[in-house]
Amino acid sequence: MKKLGALHSQQRFYRLLGLPALVLLTLLFVVPLTFTLSRAFSGDESLYFGEAFITLFRQPYTWTIIRFSLLQAFVSTIVSLLIAFPGAYLLANYRFRGKGFVKAICTLPFVLPSILVVLGFVIFYGNSGILNTLLMDLFTLDTPPLQILYSFKAIILAHAFYNFPIALSLISTRWENLSPSYEGAALTLGSNRWEAFRRITLPNLMSSVLSASSLIFLFCFSSFAILLVLGGGPQFSNIEVEIYRRAKLSGDMTTASALALISIVITLALVLLHLLFQRRGSYEQESQLFEQVNSSYKKHSLVSSLLIALYVIISFGFVLGPLGAIIWRSFTSSITRGGATQLSLKWYKELLGLNSSGTAFISTALSSVIYSFIIALISASIATVLGLMLSARLARKSDTDSLAVELYAMLPMAVSSVVVGLGYYLVGRVVGTTFSMRLLLVLLAHVVIASPFVIRSILPDYRSMSKTYMQAALTLGSTVRQSFLLVELPLLRSSIITGFAFAFAISMGEMNATLILSESNIVTIPVIMYRLIGSYNYSGACALGTLLIGVSVALFGLSEASKRRRYE
Amino acid sequence: MKRYTCTLVLALILTPLALFSGAIKEQIAEPDELIVYAYDSFVSEWGPGPLVIPAFEQQTGIKVRLVSSGHGGELLSKLLLERNHPKADVVIGLESELAQKAIDSKLFLPYRSPMMDYVPTFLHFDPTYCLVPFNYGVYAFNYDSHTLKDIPSSLDDLLDPKWRKSIILIDPRISNVGLGLLEWTVAIYGDDYLSWWENIKPNVLTITDGWSSAYGLFTEGEAPLVLSYTTSPVYHILYEESDRYKAVVFDEGNMSVIEGAAIVASTQKRAEAQLFIDFLLSDAQKDIAVANVMYPVNSNTVLPDAFDQLVQPTKELTLDSELVHAQRQTWIDRWVEVMSK
Repeated sequence: MKKLGALHSQQRFYRLLGLPALVLLTLLFVVPLTFTLSRAFSGDESLYFGEAFITLFRQPYTWTIIRFSLLQAFVSTIVSLLIAFPGAYLLANYRFRGKGFVKAICTLPFVLPSILVVLGFVIFYGNSGILNTLLMDLFTLDTPPLQILYSFKAIILAHAFYNFPIALSLISTRWENLSPSYEGAALTLGSNRWEAFRRITLPNLMSSVLSASSLIFLFCFSSFAILLVLGGGPQFSNIEVEIYRRAKLSGDMTTASALALISIVITLALVLLHLLFQRRGSYEQESQLFEQVNSSYKKHSLVSSLLIALYVIISFGFVLGPLGAIIWRSFTSSITRGGATQLSLKWYKELLGLNSSGTAFISTALSSVIYSFIIALISASIATVLGLMLSARLARKSDTDSLAVELYAMLPMAVSSVVVGLGYYLVGRVVGTTFSMRLLLVLLAHVVIASPFVIRSILPDYRSMSKTYMQAALTLGSTVRQSFLLVELPLLRSSIITGFAFAFAISMGEMNATLILSESNIVTIPVIMYRLIGSYNYSGACALGTLLIGVSVALFGLSEASKRRRYE
Repeated sequence: MKRYTCTLVLALILTPLALFSGAIKEQIAEPDELIVYAYDSFVSEWGPGPLVIPAFEQQTGIKVRLVSSGHGGELLSKLLLERNHPKADVVIGLESELAQKAIDSKLFLPYRSPMMDYVPTFLHFDPTYCLVPFNYGVYAFNYDSHTLKDIPSSLDDLLDPKWRKSIILIDPRISNVGLGLLEWTVAIYGDDYLSWWENIKPNVLTITDGWSSAYGLFTEGEAPLVLSYTTSPVYHILYEESDRYKAVVFDEGNMSVIEGAAIVASTQKRAEAQLFIDFLLSDAQKDIAVANVMYPVNSNTVLPDAFDQLVQPTKELTLDSELVHAQRQTWIDRWVEVMSK
């Protein structure tokens, strides 16, 4: 009887804990979405119900955009998988130096803002970029040999850069945990290695491949900055770019909202697919958990060592080249627009307000840095607290199997940040657009965008946490509240810190919603970077980019350090 | 330590509430500055804004807040969006071809500045003086003489396969310069303008979202040809003592554009706004012309010698404002269809 009472109070506690977070997140998410939906259907007074959709679907251009959005996401996913696969094989089957570093790179895409990737690409791969200049000097060529920017190829390459680490991480983890005994048995029974791979290994990897693919497809589908800057022209626009163009540049909120709804429907389907694949994967993983903890690594041969070296060098060049280019470029300045360049600290001095050359860059850049930090700090704190409260509830849900619960928590992820931005923009037009109100809207939009990532970081840890500690605490007479604060929270420490770091990084790098929401008085680092790229002040953009890289690395270090401490 | 963390987190969470109350207060407060909306490049680092605004503030003691409001076409749509709660007092950068739409919108206050006496009559594009011209330019393709030996001589010539992936264009849905080329093709080819666009595609490196990024890519060496103005080389002559970048004029004619400014009808600062327009048409003329690298409207303006080295257009093309008003959206829509294939 007493035990039953304890169980009851326990359930009540977690339900109450999760409730405010649930209500708040729902409000933050649903309110702007409602504005978008009502705008999409009823539009202006002059339009009849649903007219915007009919207009949109009648235009062949709408279909071109939808088709292109899907096509580029599909090709990007395939290319990312192709780049990741050999790496996953090497990571899973061999032990080598620098392996930890390769794995660290796997976390990069989550913390790097896409505008940074775009900037790095233009500087590194452009027709007059570092790579082409180098090749032209080496082979005394007149024309740049690698014409990849400003086309379909550029978009695919940037997406692969961004997303192949996701595939690498998911597939190699699965591969590593695969029992080699099946493959061994197949080999003993006389099948050749290819057959063993095709019939044993590949089917077992399939769940992780599908899970990675669906996630990558989702990210590429709702990609914005990469298509906005690298795409160029109506041929290479996706739905998100078109929403932005209609809402912000043409002021046509009605068709922008209608397009947003189309985007939501597609992304929702993608998230659902991803969750299904992920679940399938986790069941399989569990069933094999006891068979194999850590696979035995294969012995190095000359060929395998060479392959590893080659892969590591190429993938490092691929990932670190553009980033290094940004840092290098930030220390140069041109004397005039398009003139010769020289090494200097000009942009950092301007950033700090030490070098007043009376340019517009200085006044906005410093304040953008301050705004970015303040917004990131506040929105990451709120997202972390909300995410933690919601995770506490979700982890304890008796029907953990119900897809609906988890889908609900992932819902903001199913809606692209451009759409979130549009929703808050429409809210802003009703509640007013004063400075504080706009800042508030940017903050709330960031909370909505960041919170699913917090939940993603805390929830799995919460679920796998052994309940025995807590039960012991309860048996020893502590209340549910005490056991939550004194037992559970300290145990979750590292995943809370990681969640906060993710949320902070996402807020710092968030451009899409902010670009739609921000007027000239509130600008964050990525927005200024976009403006600087637009007015071709690459060096200034690079100085800010270097700052963002620094912040990302620091946050990454913070989350790694918290993990290490936990195991000590 | 733990207590501090808790307090900090709590404080951070409560900040939005503080912001919310601040927002309500601000909505009541009245700003003390003259609010001027201008297109992005006017406000940018190399634009006229950083020169003109401080000079005006010093001369008149009126504080100005310059609001960067996106590319050319965005300005009018932004004002139309804000129709019910207008914030701007003055707008800079409404082109002459939008005159009809701007006048119809009844958003602006007529003001015939005394400085208009020094502006040649062909530039008085708005007879109601809601919009006054402040500079004008002629669109032209610019080329990099280091990499391009062969120079195009007409729009048709640009279709030659030898210029494969060599031209940077600008999106007419977003940028005035981009729209300039679209209307240029309409002026030359009439209803057949789309076939030019169909055929130019292989020669286009990229279509950027604004003039700045297009011209930046051009000077960075990404492509040898870019859509710009006849006046653009002035910049390189003035600041780099270089005549590497040149404009080319076509015998068939080059499209021209007049850029205008206007006072927003709802302004509470009418006198200040009028002073600002006067300043724009007089003392600011040289700075605007040099920074925008376009022609001033005030004929008394003394320009640097570099302007004398420019090629003169053989024929300046314009389209009828009413035709533009009626047809522009159709042109753009058809352009999108063709270019997205």
